[in-house]
Amino acid sequence: METVIEKWPAAINTVTIGAREDGGGTRSSTVTIGGETTLPFLAFEGAPPHRPALALDILDYSPDDWPETLREPFREALGDPAEWAGLCQEKYRPDLICLRLQSLHPDWGDTDPERAAETVRAVLAATSLPLIICGCDHPEKDNLAFPLCAAAAAGENCLIGFATEENYKTLTAACLADNHAIWAQSPIDINIAKQVNILISEMGFDPKRIVIDPNTGALGYGIEYTYSIMERIRLAALDGDKMLAMPLLGDVGADAWRAKEAKAAEKDFPEWGEENLRGPLWEAATAALLLQAGADLLIFRHPEALRKIRDHLDNLLDIA
Amino acid sequence: MALTGLDIYKLLPKTNCGDCGSPTCLAFAMKLASKQAELQSCPHASEEATAALGAASQPPIRLVTIGAGDNRVEIGNETVLFRHQETFYHQTALAVRVREDDPEREARLEKIAGLRFTRVGEEIAVDLAALEEESGDPEKFAAFALRAGELSGLPAVLISSSLPCLGAALEKIGKSRPLICPRSPEKIEDFAALAREHSCPLAVDGGSVEKTAELSLRAREAGAEDLVLLAGSGSLKEKLADLTVIRRQALRKQFRPLGYPTIAFTNPDADPEAQALEAAVLIAKYAGVVVTDLIRPEYILPLLTVRQNIYTDPQKPIQVEPKLYPVGTPDRNSPLLVTTNFSLTYFTVEGEIEASRIGAYLLVVDTEGTSVLTAWAADKFNAASISRALNDSGAADLLDHRNLILPGYVAVLSGKVEEESGWTVEVGPREASGIPKFLKTAYRGGTGKDQS
Amino acid sequence: MFLISERINGMFTAVKKAIAARDAAAIGEIALRQLAAGADALDLNVGTAAAEPAEAMVWLVESVRAVSAATLCLDHPNIEVIRAGAEAAGDNFIINSTTAREEDLAKFLPLAAQTGAGLIALTLDEKGVPNTVDGRVEIAARILIAAEGAGLPPDRLFIDPVTLPINVAQDQPKKLLEAVSQFKLLSDPPPRAVIGLSNLASGSSEKSLLTGAFLAMAMGAGLDAVILDPEDRLLIDLLITGEVLLNRTIYNRDYLKAWRAGKT
Repeated sequence: METVIEKWPAAINTVTIGAREDGGGTRSSTVTIGGETTLPFLAFEGAPPHRPALALDILDYSPDDWPETLREPFREALGDPAEWAGLCQEKYRPDLICLRLQSLHPDWGDTDPERAAETVRAVLAATSLPLIICGCDHPEKDNLAFPLCAAAAAGENCLIGFATEENYKTLTAACLADNHAIWAQSPIDINIAKQVNILISEMGFDPKRIVIDPNTGALGYGIEYTYSIMERIRLAALDGDKMLAMPLLGDVGADAWRAKEAKAAEKDFPEWGEENLRGPLWEAATAALLLQAGADLLIFRHPEALRKIRDHLDNLLDIA
Repeated sequence: MALTGLDIYKLLPKTNCGDCGSPTCLAFAMKLASKQAELQSCPHASEEATAALGAASQPPIRLVTIGAGDNRVEIGNETVLFRHQETFYHQTALAVRVREDDPEREARLEKIAGLRFTRVGEEIAVDLAALEEESGDPEKFAAFALRAGELSGLPAVLISSSLPCLGAALEKIGKSRPLICPRSPEKIEDFAALAREHSCPLAVDGGSVEKTAELSLRAREAGAEDLVLLAGSGSLKEKLADLTVIRRQALRKQFRPLGYPTIAFTNPDADPEAQALEAAVLIAKYAGVVVTDLIRPEYILPLLTVRQNIYTDPQKPIQVEPKLYPVGTPDRNSPLLVTTNFSLTYFTVEGEIEASRIGAYLLVVDTEGTSVLTAWAADKFNAASISRALNDSGAADLLDHRNLILPGYVAVLSGKVEEESGWTVEVGPREASGIPKFLKTAYRGGTGKDQS
Repeated sequence: MFLISERINGMFTAVKKAIAARDAAAIGEIALRQLAAGADALDLNVGTAAAEPAEAMVWLVESVRAVSAATLCLDHPNIEVIRAGAEAAGDNFIINSTTAREEDLAKFLPLAAQTGAGLIALTLDEKGVPNTVDGRVEIAARILIAAEGAGLPPDRLFIDPVTLPINVAQDQPKKLLEAVSQFKLLSDPPPRAVIGLSNLASGSSEKSLLTGAFLAMAMGAGLDAVILDPEDRLLIDLLITGEVLLNRTIYNRDYLKAWRAGKT
């Protein structure tokens, strides 16, 4: 029997996030993702050169609407992003921290863009891990904050997001000026995923510094669309489409914890079992599927979900 | 994939006699390859040619049935490696293992029977009870198999490498077509004979893909037709590799010895969460049957959901139940929005309402799973269907106002909806992302102040 | 689609002059321009004027290799000229071309098999180019069987059904399309199908429309490679659009730009 081995003409780009002192930053580690030459985890065709990276979310306000299961691991640090970041690094050991500047949003506090930049500085001081910075998904407020935050993190080689088809110019200019990578998001639409990359590159930004976020649907809530779009992006990229050859990002936690099955209390759905087991597993199962579709960078909410996926990756990569 | 023109040409007499109506044997072969002719047209075709062409017209992965009656499951007959290329047709059968010597085994079997849930209008459940023989005692195992069927109501996977134990169990429950699953490459002809005698499917475990292919040929020659191939017994990495290789060889190369559905076991020594994640991968990556030791709903519900999502036909999207949904904690003055029952549309709209932190009701109209614009174009989302849904929903009893927010894309429907339903229509944003802003700043209804 | 540039050919005045003057910089410039416009390979043809074709071929190869490692397409009927060019090229080249005449196949197939090269083979034998679809497919089948014997895998074989000018053989384009689609059924993996586009409109009016429409139709029939001038923008736009319509590249609003960005 002659086994079918697939040889693809192209490879996925590699993107490095974070900068050590020799790279002009102050991080104690950097993270490199991408570089695959085959479909996910098919070691018999070529081992993935970089392990998928796992990030943990921190918020710039106290998330009172989070379910207890999710608040519990961070309880003492909620509301203080710097302390929260430090706690994550020390206790839960993610590869990166993802700072969400949600309080910028008019509905979530409408805080000052200057304050967002202060938060970025404080978080960078409190953790030595590479940093992902995420705006509030309100274009006007984000565009006020992006340049300030990019400047506040100058030299640290962060991943900043997100750029969309309608709103990419300010972020692209800011990342060009202060040398950060871009998190490009598209609404579960492969055509737009490609278009955003073209638009960003046309501003002179290196397409090899972009990460694609095809917008995660949680398990049970549309993940089949994300799964297939990620697979299609990866197949097109391996086949030579340079405008889709970026590493893929799964914003797992934010979406998984919107699922009823993740956050509902046991008293409301006794037939679903304990929420403390159920929530983190819902998040981890979402991540496990995205890994099979090609995800390179996963952002988690619950440290237990991150831990499970770290072990799961050992199992997939056969690391005892 | 069918035979190529040259493959067929090589099987033909190469006399260019023209009796088939084509000028040359190659021209005839090309017609056969493009299915524009039948081999019968050639009066000189050999038996070998007939057999080869017949085999090539079989589906590349055999359809195998486990169980009999209403709760039987079908696996295999898949045609693609990626679901977007077509769809995955026969969803992975989920099997929960029960060990013969487990003192809790009866309770466990009863629990398995209860592992069924309803998600987006579909019942999802564990399909098989995997019974692992441990006693070496044929009578005991046969009694266990019989009792397991009574307690779980599910078809069985009989895991045993003991011919007498399997034979005794099959005497009792053979009619319900369990999957015979010896965990050994030895005595394959004997197991195949047992499978043939009871017309049951047989799992083949060679320890490696190459060996499994050899065993499946031997099993087939010994008369077992419905085979299931065991994929990988080491790490998840090996299982993934085996499942991928088997699927590719079957589809791309039409390699007959691997043209069967597969079975894979999660690592019994791993903790339950690791087993659950492993099972999720096996479901996504082609396993026909997944056997796990998981029993708690916390672990089974996500797996059944993974299966439901992966096996959703991309051409036939998941539909949510058309009814009135509360989002957040609405009261009698909360806004009422309407959308279609395409799952992704619903999830997006529901998510945006939730993000607005304003309690609301969301009315979902049955549009056969199409999005707002598609449903409107197909006349499934119109004044009549919206008004009917509104009346059937009971919204009038829950709300003190009579205002309905219509998606901006179908603003043209406003007048007609008002006419048919008697409710006041407000035109909402075109994209769901505009909902939070709309509810906060533009929405006028609900408080009654604009009712004049 | 695999794009083979036809512009480095001694029949064109600029190239002829450059060969005569041994102006390597001029050749290098054309090569880079054609690659930037989207060529995947560069056809090298010394033309008829060169007194020493083998020497001229070696010089052309070296002139291009000085600026690019791109795939070269060594274009000459004489195997000794090809051999000389192959030696200079080292690897990453295609031989253009062999006919299906037995003596040619006996020479070119082993050379391609041994050097790891691709080979363009014309459906033209001792009796010339057949007028029918079946005739072309028969020849293709013969080439494939001979290639198998010589150890050249089908996917390194480019079968060219031989394009004739529309103004002398108007019944031919339709037959070529059918032949191309049948080539794909011959083997697994199938041989690749290639056509030289410019000959179709040789001596005709509306060259762009004729070649463009035919390119699009041939892509639909399963064409894998084409020999053309990548600086012909209309042709390339049609080709890119064809790739999108055949679902070979992912559509996006600026798909023309995306394709060109991917080439640089």
